[in-house]
Amino acid sequence: MAVNETGTDYELPCGRDLDALWDRLDSVDEHEATCPHCGTARESLLALRSATAELVAEPDPVPPGLVGRIMSAVRAEARRGQMLDLPTPEPGRVEVSEAAVAVVLRYAADSAGDVRARRCRVRTVGVASDGGGIVEVELTLAVRLGNVDGAETLARVRERVTTAAAARVGLTLAKLDLLVEDVYEDGE
Amino acid sequence: MTTTELDDATLVGRARDGDVRAYEQLVLRYQAPMFRLAVKMLNHRGDAEDVVQEVFLGAWRKLTQLQDDSAFVGWLYRSTANRCLNVIRARRPQVDVDLELAESPRTDGQPEHAAQVNGQLEALNAALQQLTPPQRVCWLLREVHGRSYDEIAEVVGVNPAAVRGRIARARAQLAEVMKPWR
Repeated sequence: MAVNETGTDYELPCGRDLDALWDRLDSVDEHEATCPHCGTARESLLALRSATAELVAEPDPVPPGLVGRIMSAVRAEARRGQMLDLPTPEPGRVEVSEAAVAVVLRYAADSAGDVRARRCRVRTVGVASDGGGIVEVELTLAVRLGNVDGAETLARVRERVTTAAAARVGLTLAKLDLLVEDVYEDGE
Repeated sequence: MTTTELDDATLVGRARDGDVRAYEQLVLRYQAPMFRLAVKMLNHRGDAEDVVQEVFLGAWRKLTQLQDDSAFVGWLYRSTANRCLNVIRARRPQVDVDLELAESPRTDGQPEHAAQVNGQLEALNAALQQLTPPQRVCWLLREVHGRSYDEIAEVVGVNPAAVRGRIARARAQLAEVMKPWR
């Protein structure tokens, strides 16, 4: 980085710039070793640096219950999405929200390994003979970097998601679009 | 759900779909840095708590407007910084501040003892409150939160050169205060 970058007004009487001094606080050059102005400024900057380190290390506990308060406000206006009909042998209707279905489908996709499900759009397109909804699903994925066989991974995701929709929710998948939009690295 | 830590973009994508638990993970991940920034900006824990609550509720509401899912943290910092600056603007001028509103910094033990042990830290905390709010937010984001000049420029809405200038001024002013403790 350029040392003698100008634009700040903090020139010491010896002509050195405070900002430049800060940038290489640990490597004193010949001038700085003997210059009283630089010496004084360095001491102040070193004191500032250690006080800053204390500030960073200072425990600053978040008030208890803050997360709870935030999340209850969030839940109060959570987007459930549209309601979907579920098959039922009883009279009346059983409904489930799109958001709840999305959670199940994303979980199924995750279980295929090497992918992370992100957005999941569920749209009703019809009603099956058992009364359950027929849906189209669009699932956006991030794939693990270094994943050797993408096609096989996606086939696995497709199978898990289709099975989960039928077995765990009771919906028929008319269409499943898988969109890979990103990659992630292990440990990320 | 598995216990693996998911990346921000994945959690944001899920939260946008209405997955409240994914959003909760984001809140757990970022409440502490946002609270810390707000406390140092406002020097008042109650006000800071209000700000953080508004930031996360506002972010949830506007999740659909976020273009880049991995930009979530920057977005939180921007929202926190702006809300703090608004709170400060809305406060009465310093001269009118009554003692109830001006919450004193934490005083554990006797003042003399604290001054000896935490002299530098106390001095820094006091000096921080003397900076202008725009200088303070830039300095905190750089030195305490480790954000780059470009990121800070995005957060506060000025160019990186101006950010650099503000931080240099803040540093000079803070270093000046550090002198008596040497």
